[in-house]
Amino acid sequence: MTKRQRQPEPLDPKLKESLPQVNLDALIGAVRYEVDEDFAHLWIKDHEVCQGCPAKPCLAFCPAGVYHLDRAGQVMVSYQACLECGSCRVGCPFHNIGWALPRGGYGVAYKLG
Amino acid sequence: MTPNHRCDAIVVGAGPAGVAAAITMAKGGLKVCLIERGRLPGAKNLFGGVLYPHALAEVIPDYAERHPPFERPVTEQGYWLLSPDSVVRIMHKSVHYKTAPTGAYTALRARFDAWFAEQAVQAGVLLITKTTVTEVVRDARGRALGVATDRPEGLVQAPILVIAEGVNNLLTQSLGLAKGDLPPRYVALSVKEVLALPAAEIEARFGLAGADEGVAIDIFGDATLGLPGTAFIYTDAKAISIGVGLLLEELIVHNLKPYEILARFKAHPVVRPYLAGATVLEYGAHLIPEQGYDRMPDLVGDGVLIAGDAAAMVDAVHREGSNLAMTAGRMAGETALEAHRRGDFSAAFLRAYRTKLEESFVLKDLKQYRRMTDFLDSTPHVIGTYVDFMNEAALRYFTAQGMPKREMEGEILGLLRGRRSFFGIAHDMMKLLRGLRG
Repeated sequence: MTKRQRQPEPLDPKLKESLPQVNLDALIGAVRYEVDEDFAHLWIKDHEVCQGCPAKPCLAFCPAGVYHLDRAGQVMVSYQACLECGSCRVGCPFHNIGWALPRGGYGVAYKLG
Repeated sequence: MTPNHRCDAIVVGAGPAGVAAAITMAKGGLKVCLIERGRLPGAKNLFGGVLYPHALAEVIPDYAERHPPFERPVTEQGYWLLSPDSVVRIMHKSVHYKTAPTGAYTALRARFDAWFAEQAVQAGVLLITKTTVTEVVRDARGRALGVATDRPEGLVQAPILVIAEGVNNLLTQSLGLAKGDLPPRYVALSVKEVLALPAAEIEARFGLAGADEGVAIDIFGDATLGLPGTAFIYTDAKAISIGVGLLLEELIVHNLKPYEILARFKAHPVVRPYLAGATVLEYGAHLIPEQGYDRMPDLVGDGVLIAGDAAAMVDAVHREGSNLAMTAGRMAGETALEAHRRGDFSAAFLRAYRTKLEESFVLKDLKQYRRMTDFLDSTPHVIGTYVDFMNEAALRYFTAQGMPKREMEGEILGLLRGRRSFFGIAHDMMKLLRGLRG
């Protein structure tokens, strides 16, 4: 496998400004879940690694907004909203997110898909 | 291993690949256990929305009489090249799409997969839902003996295993068949909304004569901020499926929220009128494995066959996946039947599965487009550049302003040269051609 290290051209700031605010809670509210209160299938392996991660891209790319910061700046995991896409597991630059499948029958339960 | 259940074959995952494998093996006389972690088959599954029944017909020849829950036949399809304020549409509508058998239908996977799995049950497959496979149990020599699940007394034994676990192929990785996890630059993250709209409204807005017509549109350019990716709009029976997908790497590098990109696309002046008054029925997200031919996992191990998204069987150029999965699942099932007849479950014998796939469109297409993801990856702005150019060129071409046409043509050429050098254009076209020709 050839690995090109391309230097990404930054996005035009005007493009970024054109992104609207989204009420993600309303979107997540349209999704059916079978919440497993006894097993968190996502977890931060080592919070110190997150402290040393300047970009914290998980806060943005997670389509369910599972990752957010608490008042102390620590990454919190709302696994209950997880859509089980797998982006965080492969997208965390430090592979610092523990990712397991929810127990059978639990987790997201699409009605349409 | 002291198993709690024994069968002739285990299938992990009741999606298109797994169900096709299960039906094929059950019809061949095997006792099949089909294990699905969702509360129902389809509960974990999501796609953009176009299904190609040619692969279904090979698994269930009389599928049409069994009333699959298709949304609409696709009678018009094509591309929108979207700039921030304009669109160039390249659409194809034909009465030929209406003559049976139709080539494509829009569908919703939670409904379709549940129906498909029900056909497996009718064929004699034992469907076990709400059960997560935690491990492939192997002997000291690495041969698969069965699976462990999260059910009490959940060990299931079988001489052959079809793993159709989907894009998050953790079992495939645990067997060493996939080298490492999915690379973010070769995997796309798609987010999708299903928007409720009355059938009559959909038909009026998209110019459809009735419930027997439907549209599938793939959109390039401003929909993904000009970044590598596509957006889609597909008409369902009483809803619109709309979504955007970008390489995960792009979202990471540019610190983007995928649902904001989708919201921006929905608000585009060209798109918004189609969606007016539509309410969100469901939201979802899914990864699409676009590693391509050269980075696919190994498809066989001792006692194991891998099919579908777990093996990166996605043709991103033609937005095909579920038909590749069904075809691969069927071929995995046929190979498992031959292995049972021979009593040989070794990887060496199971390699016949790979040979079947190589002789079919599945690996032929994947091989042909092996360079496509690299093309987009190495020329990330190519889509935005040419889409914007097409729109500006169209605006000049269709505008009469008292300018001699020769000057207008020169202006259009200037627009292109301003964006990309002659050599840059030649280079892009060469790479695109190579990507398409294989």
